Amino acid sequence: MNRNPALRDALFAAIVLILVLAIPMLHRSPAFEDFIIRLSAMALFATSLNLLVGNTGMVSFGHGMFYGFAAYAFGLTMQLTELSLPVAALFAVALTTIAAFVVGAMCVRLSTDYFAFITLAVQMLFFSVIVSWQSLTGGDQGLRGGIPRRHILGFDLGSQLHLYQFCAIVAVLGLLALRHVSMSPFGNTLRMVRDNAERASFVGIVLWRARLLAFTIAGGFAGIGGVLAALFVSGAYPELADWPNSGQAIFAVMLGGINSFLGPVLGAMILLALNDLVQRFTEYHGLVLGVVILAFALGLRRGVLDFIHLVWSKRAR
Amino acid sequence: MDFNALGVCFTTPACVVTQATSGLIVGMLLFLVAAGLTLIFGVLKIVNFAHGTFYMLGGYVAYSAYAATDSYALAVLAGAVAMALFGVLFERVLMSRVYGSNVLMQLLVCYAVVLIFDDIVKSVWGPEFRAMGMPAAFQVPPLFIAGGVVPPFYAVLIGIAALIAMVLSLGLSRTRLGKTVRAAAVNPQMVSALGVNTTVLFAIVFAIGGGLAGLAGALAGPVRSLSPGMGFSILIEGFIVTVIGGMGSIAGAMVAALVIGLVRGFGTIGFPGFTDGLIYIVMIGILVLRPQGLFGRPL
Amino acid sequence: MSGPVTRRTLLAGGTATLVAAPWVARAQANTLRIGMQSILSGPIALLGTSSRNSLLVEQDRINAAGGFLGRQIEFVFRDSKGQPQEAARVARELVNTAGCELLVDAEASSASFAVQEVMRDLNVACIHTNSETSSLTADPKIRVPTAFRVARQGVHDAVAGSLYLADFANAKKINKWATCSPDYAYGRDTTAQYLQFFKKFKPDVEVVTEAWPKLGQPDFTEVITKLIQAKPQALFTLLYAGDLSAFVNQGNVYALFGQMTVATPNVDYPVLAAIKNLPAGIQSATRYLETFPDTPANKEWGQAYFKRWNERPTNWSWQNSVAMHFYEAAIKKANSLDGKAIAAALTGLKINSPFGADGTITMRDDHTTIGYAIGWGQTIPKDPFITDIKPADWGKIIELETEWKKQQNYS
Repeated sequence: MNRNPALRDALFAAIVLILVLAIPMLHRSPAFEDFIIRLSAMALFATSLNLLVGNTGMVSFGHGMFYGFAAYAFGLTMQLTELSLPVAALFAVALTTIAAFVVGAMCVRLSTDYFAFITLAVQMLFFSVIVSWQSLTGGDQGLRGGIPRRHILGFDLGSQLHLYQFCAIVAVLGLLALRHVSMSPFGNTLRMVRDNAERASFVGIVLWRARLLAFTIAGGFAGIGGVLAALFVSGAYPELADWPNSGQAIFAVMLGGINSFLGPVLGAMILLALNDLVQRFTEYHGLVLGVVILAFALGLRRGVLDFIHLVWSKRAR
Repeated sequence: MDFNALGVCFTTPACVVTQATSGLIVGMLLFLVAAGLTLIFGVLKIVNFAHGTFYMLGGYVAYSAYAATDSYALAVLAGAVAMALFGVLFERVLMSRVYGSNVLMQLLVCYAVVLIFDDIVKSVWGPEFRAMGMPAAFQVPPLFIAGGVVPPFYAVLIGIAALIAMVLSLGLSRTRLGKTVRAAAVNPQMVSALGVNTTVLFAIVFAIGGGLAGLAGALAGPVRSLSPGMGFSILIEGFIVTVIGGMGSIAGAMVAALVIGLVRGFGTIGFPGFTDGLIYIVMIGILVLRPQGLFGRPL
Repeated sequence: MSGPVTRRTLLAGGTATLVAAPWVARAQANTLRIGMQSILSGPIALLGTSSRNSLLVEQDRINAAGGFLGRQIEFVFRDSKGQPQEAARVARELVNTAGCELLVDAEASSASFAVQEVMRDLNVACIHTNSETSSLTADPKIRVPTAFRVARQGVHDAVAGSLYLADFANAKKINKWATCSPDYAYGRDTTAQYLQFFKKFKPDVEVVTEAWPKLGQPDFTEVITKLIQAKPQALFTLLYAGDLSAFVNQGNVYALFGQMTVATPNVDYPVLAAIKNLPAGIQSATRYLETFPDTPANKEWGQAYFKRWNERPTNWSWQNSVAMHFYEAAIKKANSLDGKAIAAALTGLKINSPFGADGTITMRDDHTTIGYAIGWGQTIPKDPFITDIKPADWGKIIELETEWKKQQNYS
């Protein structure tokens, strides 16, 4: 099995997908289904960010802008044109990828800290454009009137079950593709850029080109997450592109573990569950979330999966 | 865009005086916040994302102190001193544990502090906004200079902030501590090797930074509203100032804070609704063309 | 929908329930759960807390009177932080997981639109209690069969305010106005609406300058000096809560209130209490006031609220209270909790209320309330804070609202 990691990953993905799709046939729980729908969007968003943070060592504070960009691009395309849903989704993701390329071209040459600042600044500019361009985006009230729900390939996205299935399939395929990127020779190049930029340029890697490509790919996959998010809320809101949303993805990555491919997915799961649960018991969720974050940052000093790997490898030794 | 109105304003002394004072007051208070931010970054290479929380807590402490003593001077002092102490605690208990870690780890710790203290403020002072009220001594009609309006309270605030800026820059250039701080900003290992206790130095830097932010929050008490979460917008503005002025440069923070204050003062006449966008564009432009900012040294 | 969970399905769904454990509904005895969502944290938490306080008062009253259809009621409160995507999720969770059979949506505007979209899929009655944006119910494309609004509606306030201010401006010969409102949809749209009606009633009005501060902007100094430069005779502002308080405090520093007359519809008890030096003579609408309508019932309600919470109610408090009155009457009439049955009973329902202009409030066919008290007067620095209140003319409001709806192609 180890001889063909791609096959192993695909098999693993297929098993997970079958399990997730089987659950509603045994027991319907609308809340659980909502959770998986939201997790699909968030997992793609966080994992794509980790392609930058964990794989390439690029700390972006503005990843949410692509999530939000895709949500608006998708919502507006659906509202303004007669395009079918898959075409509109693909168009939105393509547009987001182009946007990521343009932003990346501006930012990737900067060193770590400045790269973080400039991505934050571009995101704030983008956010203020969304809020001010009321005639197109609806300003702070977001795109209203819902996203027309059209049937695609037998899926009726107005039905919760079908939306659940659709999101699960898209998320698993998306994650598999990201895994493929991360394990490819290009993924190795990125890791070399992260670990030793000088050596990487010595062996002939053009640093900015590798970084720009990573940034563009990450933006595109965040865009897929954004489309799923837009489907869930049946609209697009400026908050999707705001700083706290980028923060959510950063937390998911940090909580789950930056050196494990599935770390961000686990982090997203923890964060969403924490948010849902804490909110039921107290309105001081900031306090609870803050304490949990401190416990991770100062206690484990790394994400859950990274911690498990560490303990595991110590045991093995 | 209304360049006509802007032109008219620049040719009227009354308009220039009024808008310039309003720009100065915004800029000076911003400088107090940004000075701490940039000082901390200069010495420790840490972006203190919890800086807005210092500002907020300074305001709330001053609010309670004013309610208890009815003295604005005591209230301001209480806000500044409390936040200086808080800065030391924050540095010792939390930040010192993540020195040398990934910038994301530092961000995480700071954000946790922001979340926790927003909720603590909410449980202590309530979720609704609070207002301190203007001290009786300042409830006087505004002055008129060349036809422009200048409130005495703001003249005093600008004076205090300018005084602090002077003390800060003199302190950094003339005193032993100041020289050590400047040396640490350039080469912390060397300073440490020379026998300076960097642990104490770092705590002092956080005390100064926290104290300045607390002071800004307290000074603004009589005119600004207090509410949980108010630190965020101040953090963003302080951050913009720091980036434009150059991370680590006090002089840069001063110039950038005044520029932003004046852009707001005159921008509201010349291009209302677009001042924020303009400031972000300036910030992006500076990062692309001169990442170290106007007055900063390259990293 | 999922039926009763039997032992068998539980066993069958082994893995499912294990994974879904936190999301499985806690089956409660006969208590009727009512979901309430709002902003309970952050700078505008007062919106949620003052709504919740009022609902808790109602919960006690209704339970003491025997509950709804003989079942005791219990509120389930959730904080959406005002974020639309979170609001959509919370609304689904309240119904799907927490087992709520009725909803009170106490969200601010943008989140209430998100809740509205969710309502299309759920057959549960929902009352929006805090969103004043007219299109939520006025626009037939946005309206939902089982969702209603018990709150002020922007266009009603705009007509009433413009009528009052036009009279005021004519009497005082005030033609040069300035506006200063928060730079987001509520501020922009509502200012435009007020100006549209204002110009209709007073065609010679001139707007000399407009200022658009950001929401939650800490410092309004440059805005204030800009207003002073323009030398208007009067200023209309839609700033509210902490922003209004900061604006007044900073305006006092510049003696702004001595240089122009100020008019605002957004003065509420907490603002009045927080502003230490409230200038006299601000032309102001009554959001909630114990003395308007000046009836024993209104005073009693305000006092009872104060006694229980040691703070005074807000505009949001009375709106939520009235929402429960509507539910109470409609459920009795429909003798059912089914969304469609309640909707049918609510439509056209008229109830007695301490907050009605004539002692009653009516739920109109387009799912929004009419006949609530709207008045304008002027401020004084101490209790009762607003005096010389003139009640609005509802006949005129409806007439102009109908015209406005035609213009918007809503009917």
